[in-house]
Amino acid sequence: MKKVFLSVLAVAALSLQSRAQETFPRNGVYDERSGLRAFTNATIFVDYQTKLENATLVIKDGKVVAVGTKVAVPQGAMVTDLKGKTVYPGFVDPYTHYGVPPVAPRTFSFNSPPQADTKKEGAYNWNQAIRPETNAVEIFKVDAKAAEELRKLGFGAVLTLHPDGIARGTASLVSLANKRENQVILLDKAAAALSLDKGSSTQEYPSSLMGSMALLRQTYLDAQWNSKNPDKEQNLSLKAFSETNRLPQIFEVTNKLNAVRADKVGDEFGHQYIFKGQGDEYQMLPQIKETKAAYILNVNFPDAFSVEDPYDARRIGIEDMKHWEMAPANPALLVKEGVAIAFTTADLRDKSKFLPNLRKATLYGLSEKEALKALTHTPAQLLKADKYVGSLREGMQANFVVASGNLFDATTLLLENWVQGQGFKISETPSDFRGVYTLKIDSQPDRRLLISGTPEKPEVKVVTADTLKGSLSLSGEMLTLAFAPAKNGKESIRLSGWYTGKGFQGEGQLPNAQTVKWSAALLEAASQQAKRDTARARSNEALDLGKMTYPFASYGRTELPKAETVLIRNATVWTNEKDGKLQNADVLLKNGKIAQVGKNLSATGAKVIDGTGKHVTPGIIDEHSHIALDGVNEGTQAVTSEVRMADVVNHEQVNIYRQLAGGVTTSQLLHGSANPIGGQSAIIKLRWGQAPEKLMLEGADPFIKFALGENVKHSNRSPQYNVRFPQTRMGVEQVMVDAFQRAKEYDKAWAAYNKLSKSAKSKTAAPRRDLELEALSEILKDQRFITCHSYVQSEINMLMKVADQMGFRVNTFTHILEGYKVADKMKERNIGASTFSDWWAYKMEVKDAIPYNAAIMHNVGVVTAINSDDAEMARRLNQEAAKTIKYGGVSEEDALKMVTLNPAKLLHLDNRIGSLKAGKDADVVIWNDHPLSIYARPEKTFVDGIAYFDLEQDKQLQEEQEKERLRLINKMLAAKARGERTQTAAPSRRGGQQVLHCEDLDNGAEENFQESEYHQK
Amino acid sequence: MLTKTKTVVTLASKNMQHKLLLAAALFVSTSVAWAQVPVPAAKQAKPIALTGATLHVGNGQVVEGATVAFSDGKITYAGPANGFTAGGTAYETVNVSGKHIYPGLILPNSQIGLNEIESVRATLDQQEVGLFNPNVRSVVAYNTDSDITPTLRSNGVLLAQVTPVGGMISGSSSVVQLDAWNWEDALVKADGGVHLRWPAMVQQTTDNSPMVVQRRQARQTGLQELEALLAESKVYKNQKQDRENLKLASLTGLFDGSKKLFIHANYGKEIVEAIRFAQKAGVKEMVIVGGADALVVADFLKENHIPVIYSGVHALPARAGDDVYLPYKMPGLLQQAGILFCLDYDASLHGSRNLPFIAGTAVAFGLPKEQAISAMTLNAAKIMGVDKQVGSVETGKDATLVVSEGDLLDMRSNKISHAFIQGRNLNLTDKQQYLYQKFNGKYESGK
Repeated sequence: MKKVFLSVLAVAALSLQSRAQETFPRNGVYDERSGLRAFTNATIFVDYQTKLENATLVIKDGKVVAVGTKVAVPQGAMVTDLKGKTVYPGFVDPYTHYGVPPVAPRTFSFNSPPQADTKKEGAYNWNQAIRPETNAVEIFKVDAKAAEELRKLGFGAVLTLHPDGIARGTASLVSLANKRENQVILLDKAAAALSLDKGSSTQEYPSSLMGSMALLRQTYLDAQWNSKNPDKEQNLSLKAFSETNRLPQIFEVTNKLNAVRADKVGDEFGHQYIFKGQGDEYQMLPQIKETKAAYILNVNFPDAFSVEDPYDARRIGIEDMKHWEMAPANPALLVKEGVAIAFTTADLRDKSKFLPNLRKATLYGLSEKEALKALTHTPAQLLKADKYVGSLREGMQANFVVASGNLFDATTLLLENWVQGQGFKISETPSDFRGVYTLKIDSQPDRRLLISGTPEKPEVKVVTADTLKGSLSLSGEMLTLAFAPAKNGKESIRLSGWYTGKGFQGEGQLPNAQTVKWSAALLEAASQQAKRDTARARSNEALDLGKMTYPFASYGRTELPKAETVLIRNATVWTNEKDGKLQNADVLLKNGKIAQVGKNLSATGAKVIDGTGKHVTPGIIDEHSHIALDGVNEGTQAVTSEVRMADVVNHEQVNIYRQLAGGVTTSQLLHGSANPIGGQSAIIKLRWGQAPEKLMLEGADPFIKFALGENVKHSNRSPQYNVRFPQTRMGVEQVMVDAFQRAKEYDKAWAAYNKLSKSAKSKTAAPRRDLELEALSEILKDQRFITCHSYVQSEINMLMKVADQMGFRVNTFTHILEGYKVADKMKERNIGASTFSDWWAYKMEVKDAIPYNAAIMHNVGVVTAINSDDAEMARRLNQEAAKTIKYGGVSEEDALKMVTLNPAKLLHLDNRIGSLKAGKDADVVIWNDHPLSIYARPEKTFVDGIAYFDLEQDKQLQEEQEKERLRLINKMLAAKARGERTQTAAPSRRGGQQVLHCEDLDNGAEENFQESEYHQK
Repeated sequence: MLTKTKTVVTLASKNMQHKLLLAAALFVSTSVAWAQVPVPAAKQAKPIALTGATLHVGNGQVVEGATVAFSDGKITYAGPANGFTAGGTAYETVNVSGKHIYPGLILPNSQIGLNEIESVRATLDQQEVGLFNPNVRSVVAYNTDSDITPTLRSNGVLLAQVTPVGGMISGSSSVVQLDAWNWEDALVKADGGVHLRWPAMVQQTTDNSPMVVQRRQARQTGLQELEALLAESKVYKNQKQDRENLKLASLTGLFDGSKKLFIHANYGKEIVEAIRFAQKAGVKEMVIVGGADALVVADFLKENHIPVIYSGVHALPARAGDDVYLPYKMPGLLQQAGILFCLDYDASLHGSRNLPFIAGTAVAFGLPKEQAISAMTLNAAKIMGVDKQVGSVETGKDATLVVSEGDLLDMRSNKISHAFIQGRNLNLTDKQQYLYQKFNGKYESGK
């Protein structure tokens, strides 16, 4: 047994012929060989869809000379008879780091101050994460060990790139031959590489996903500007970026959402990316298809979890459990949707799992043809290298794999891999003795002998009345077999023999020491049947997959709920209109809108809900939220108006569903408060199950987050954060004035340019487009609106004055805990307020915060809302609103408006949401009790007339979820019992549990390592 | 007081300064309505009888039209009006018809008085350095003049368990009443609880990264040290000591039941592990604090008579797949499971005035109303070992109670008209009301 494996590992070059490079001098005599070879009688896949039987392949000088069924063996060729063997084009891996140095880990010290400027010397880009000037070809070195590892898997050529930074430079297509760099490089610049990961950059910006996206956008613009105005700035990075943009663009992403996000940026700048994904694309299939991108997939299928312990098992998210089951089906599901795929060995820690996992993918529905295409044709085509690799046509690289049979059969072995005409032995053909035999020992009754398992690792069973396990060892064609003739017997029959061509024979010894002769004759028919049964059993198992859910997370539904015509009858209806609170009233929801509010309504075909004893209110609107985001702060620079929260909306976070369960229907997702001018807001409706794009509240005015006070001046951060301007409230004013001054000058420059005649324009350099200033310019033009985080009266007053001076308007002060001190000034300027009900004392600037704040501002005439800034509190904003009754005596109807109509006004959406009136959106909550009562809870929450939360259905969802978990747990236990590898039960980091606040920083530096999911105080 | 007076001055416009200084001086000297931290109420001078209210005793019982009488700080009668006889004592009768009487609420596991402004280090006195600080006593750092305290009282919270944090053994907690001149006056029960923070089982990641391995080892080492510490404390009393060991001496009470071990743990397996550990070490009385997963080990807790201070009502479920409302439902479920529990508010210190609304939320999700009141009063008193003195409105106990205009658990009706601690009639104003009056006045007068 062991010997077979040893020979597999002993990979030897079968031929040493090589063309030396012409330009290199030689010490000694020239020793060049043409390597003319013919491989005959083979089954040859010329390409993924052309299979030739009994064909011949001729190669010479590392290239294919001829291939076909009628090809004559040229004179002088070395001939290899490949009868019974199959030849495939060498595989192409379009995503490796073969032969390039590893990326230096980001050096980081808790004691070093944040680094604002680049530390890279030379005429390069301002940001270290932009390194398009990197060319893999310049740092590539042949790595014999790595090449051997990849060759063993069947690869002949790979794309290699340096995976560092956002713009990563160019990648090279190289062969895996054992030759000099000058010979193995097939295409020096085959592709450009991109990502959203800043890599080894020690520079602070970007610290967030939306920052990375903003930087990429701005880099495209800067490169365009630079190429049009080369004399304005010498910038090797931008120059290189413009050049690399012409190549195929390979974009590495860490999950499916990032692919969809990056694709959006690509669309903006006219680039179609090829994504190197993570294997979870099936979870957002329609959106992935819409990217129109090709996907490079790893086959890094996760191991099952250890789920014996029910407490621990509970920690695993259902999406992780389902992913274990679904991941092998990912390639098939993508291909079914017409998405082009290629395979990579990347991310596989144990590379030897590549082929087994690839085969697993075919058992999960990927056709063999598509699988072969993804290994050969597609990667070659994506890299525009199909002239060289990916198939076996005349003139192409002599890259091919010789297999013992069909590549996708579990038992097939890769025997040889030829790269640029260089042959490498991978393994010997092991004898395959598997089958059913009749075992005769002396004159004893016949037994059945079953040899199964794999050719390299056969297993044996002897069947009489019982099925007995035996031990078997094979050495070449010699066999040793021992088994206990009785169940649980301690004595063994021991046999030794040799292969006869039709079975075995030899001698042995019985437990009573008697020496006997024995034989085992192969039963052809029975053997064939056994093979078929095994195959069938395996394919049946693969097809048993759970249902897709929307979203792919806890509380995902197998089908999205639909809008119905709903008539709520005889309820207390809080209209927030001049009718006020209506008793015994009806509300009709139709086509996503409120059709009617009144008494004794009727509607044919409507689903009638008895509202007796219940209360109906508009959906709650949270003006200040950070749910459903993959990042909150790009708090690095003082001004980051270029970043967009809409870029990083994550529709899978369970907090969306939880907020619905608290009656929330709309949330404004704000940037954090780590800098004076933060990022652009996203306003979403909580359409649980819909993709991010569909959560966006269509047509909403654009907003942006500003911030003042301790967070922006880094007061509560570690001591080394004492370098960024501003460090005081004095500085904050100057940042604001300066930013708007620059925006005004920017507008002026563009206005001047736009006024020019066509001919004058062609002679004048256009100003550089600056996404940061464009967002500020929108504010000046009343096209974008400010929500400003603020606490103390001095700073609030300051920003009002800056706004007066610079000619813009503050739309809303959020938090605004000292708003009660300057309410009159806010009222004068028609500025709204969105505040906490009763938070205070958690930092210096809130020591004067009072729970009467909302009531005072409201009484002065400021449009006042109560917000959450907290995923938990958002679930009971009705309670928070009710506190204004306790603190300051606000009327009940006005209190409710603080979480419905007033935030709608602050968001300029009161024409659509915030009250119950015919024609408005059907965003409606049915409560079991007075909505401001502590005892109230939502029974149904409608968004656009769709019951995204329904108490009854919630129960059902939980039951289904539990059933699905149990099904998967049993499946995992079975997998473990079969001997499959498992991993510890632990919640995944990406799980839907993230809870973000305003002050959360995305910098890994200050992230707390949490031991358990609970905070211990 | 002085620095606070100064703040007022700097905020005022110049021509106002004179008047304000005068006013400030007045506050200090008279300390009636608008001192920021009101003067502690004077000792009960004459017997008082509150009549006509709905009495929520704290033990689950409700009495309509009740009379509650108290004298010298102790309750002399609490029950139906017709059962009350003055018996020659001259009670001052206060008619509180239509209102509700509750025992003063007890806030367990709190850093009140130890933490003034969370982000300002100089105002923090809740956490010592080191892993084992059993000898550290929270009460000596308890600041009776915290601006936060009056805001708790005006929502019904009259007692608190002042609890240190950090390390594995953080120190000891004491129960205080929230209206006092100094910490000695405030003490209800000194050093009754030793607080053990059970180290979390490291299972956050699947990998064996150096950090995870290191944590796992640190946990092992910590538990071994803890085991040794407890073992030596247990025999310490019987040893002849040449030199006093403060740590060992401070733990001896755990083994005769005079002190309780409050074990802060949340994960189901940690709870069982911690209790078993303490039992083996010979600890007599144990309480679980936190208890997010208490329900999954309910039978274990019940069999071992372990009470729970349940922390996370206003919290998100620990796991994405959990019942969306699980934290809200937990108190009701613990009640059903027959576990003795009380509620705390560990989300934030300033927010702990919302203790009654946590109970209200629990009622909305299944906890019976009177049990919700017990969960903030008598249960808490039992768990802290002060139920002979406080926790319910019953004859013989301290007259520590509140009168609310309406339902205490609902923010719309939680309006405390009177609060008494040991019969002393509290001044229920606070800094926040002062600022409210100040600025409301500004707008009302059109200034």
